[in-house]
Amino acid sequence: MDKKLKAQIDERKAIIDTLKADLITRLNLSYRSEDLHEDVSLLGSGLGLDSLDALEVVLGIENSFKVKVADDNISILRSINSIVDYVIDYRSGREVV
Amino acid sequence: MRRSPIRELLAERGASFVDRNGREIACCFSDFEQEYAAVRDAVGLTDFSFTNRFRVAEEGLDVFDRYATGSVANIRFGRILHTMAVDADGYLESELYVANDDEQMILIAESLVIDEAVVSAIGEADPAAGLENISETTVLFGLDGFNAWAVAKTLFGPDVLGLPYMSIETYELNGADVKVLRAGKTSEFGYMFLTEAENGVGVWTAIEEAGAPFGLKPIGFDTHMALRLDGRFFNIHEEGAVVRDPLLLGLQWMVDIEGDDFRGRDPLMARREKGLTHKTIGVVTDGPKDALSPGDQILHGDEVVAEVVTSALSPTLNTRIGLALFGIEYAYAGLTFNKRDGSRIHTVSMPPFTAKSLTIRLDEM
Repeated sequence: MDKKLKAQIDERKAIIDTLKADLITRLNLSYRSEDLHEDVSLLGSGLGLDSLDALEVVLGIENSFKVKVADDNISILRSINSIVDYVIDYRSGREVV
Repeated sequence: MRRSPIRELLAERGASFVDRNGREIACCFSDFEQEYAAVRDAVGLTDFSFTNRFRVAEEGLDVFDRYATGSVANIRFGRILHTMAVDADGYLESELYVANDDEQMILIAESLVIDEAVVSAIGEADPAAGLENISETTVLFGLDGFNAWAVAKTLFGPDVLGLPYMSIETYELNGADVKVLRAGKTSEFGYMFLTEAENGVGVWTAIEEAGAPFGLKPIGFDTHMALRLDGRFFNIHEEGAVVRDPLLLGLQWMVDIEGDDFRGRDPLMARREKGLTHKTIGVVTDGPKDALSPGDQILHGDEVVAEVVTSALSPTLNTRIGLALFGIEYAYAGLTFNKRDGSRIHTVSMPPFTAKSLTIRLDEM
């Protein structure tokens, strides 16, 4: 594996690991970290979070990664991967969706 | 071969049919991109009567609980559980909706095996449970799309807009009882309508009439499968049929990890203990639209790191999108790989876009 690819994977993996641990703790999930595919839907079918859970997740994201999430930005809660994309874009100064 | 009770009507509407595991399915009505656009921008109506459907009195729910990997016993009244069934070796057999509906449980299955095998697997769990196979005596239609809510409101009144996602309620339509399932697999607004077969033609045409002002088109199941892929809904007929191991597909959320026994639980949990070696990840290509096909190898340098398991054209993204089975060390979104022909493959977070339906607020309906 070349260094550039490894650095990209390491950055993403670190965010994923932190985020999954936070989700499991905050939401009292019975799954292990490796049980949670990064594309699993957080809302609706999938983990089925309700609005209170979603608020917990947003608070966790803001605390863990020192980012701000707009109140109406529900789209980043599509999946673990969409949150990771947001954190990476936020840190790099790219426009966040 | 089992055919839809409304086959003649579907044929009149221009349907082409295919045989899938002994079930005849309306696969397409018109041009793929028109059907796709109808769901993303308007609304589409699909016949899901090819599914296997069963009902059992609430006290007999054990029969479903031992078939499904999720906890049927814990489904609250009026709610639907999205789960699956695995075979004795813990490999995918059926994708399930199980609904707790007013003193009865309803199970809807899309299956990789023939009708008789599904009946046998459920029936063998408890032959005395009072199980009723309603696959041929009912019809099931899917209404999906940006405007699906407006059609449902026209048909059943504003009350239907209050149905939470993954819930079930009974309504009346032109004298027929219709069970409305607030569920879908396209990432747009989705409803499913279950009614007795004798009401099928009347209900289908009533939906068509209500949907006409909102751009409704009949949608074939082939288009539905592409909508599932770029909406990141699991598709048992595509990646499910190829990969078969629910753990590699990321379907652990469909399993009641700490729950009771179900067929295939022990081998499934044994594989879970060993840990994942591969994982399915979303991929897109910036090469030609035919540059992503099942079986294609994905490389990092000269090393094969993944194989494409399913793909489809995504008109929303204007490129081909797919799922590939990656070795676990490379199974991350946001990376770029290549194919032997030089085209680049990007791993992406799924779903790769926000569906228009997510932009509508309840007070705008």
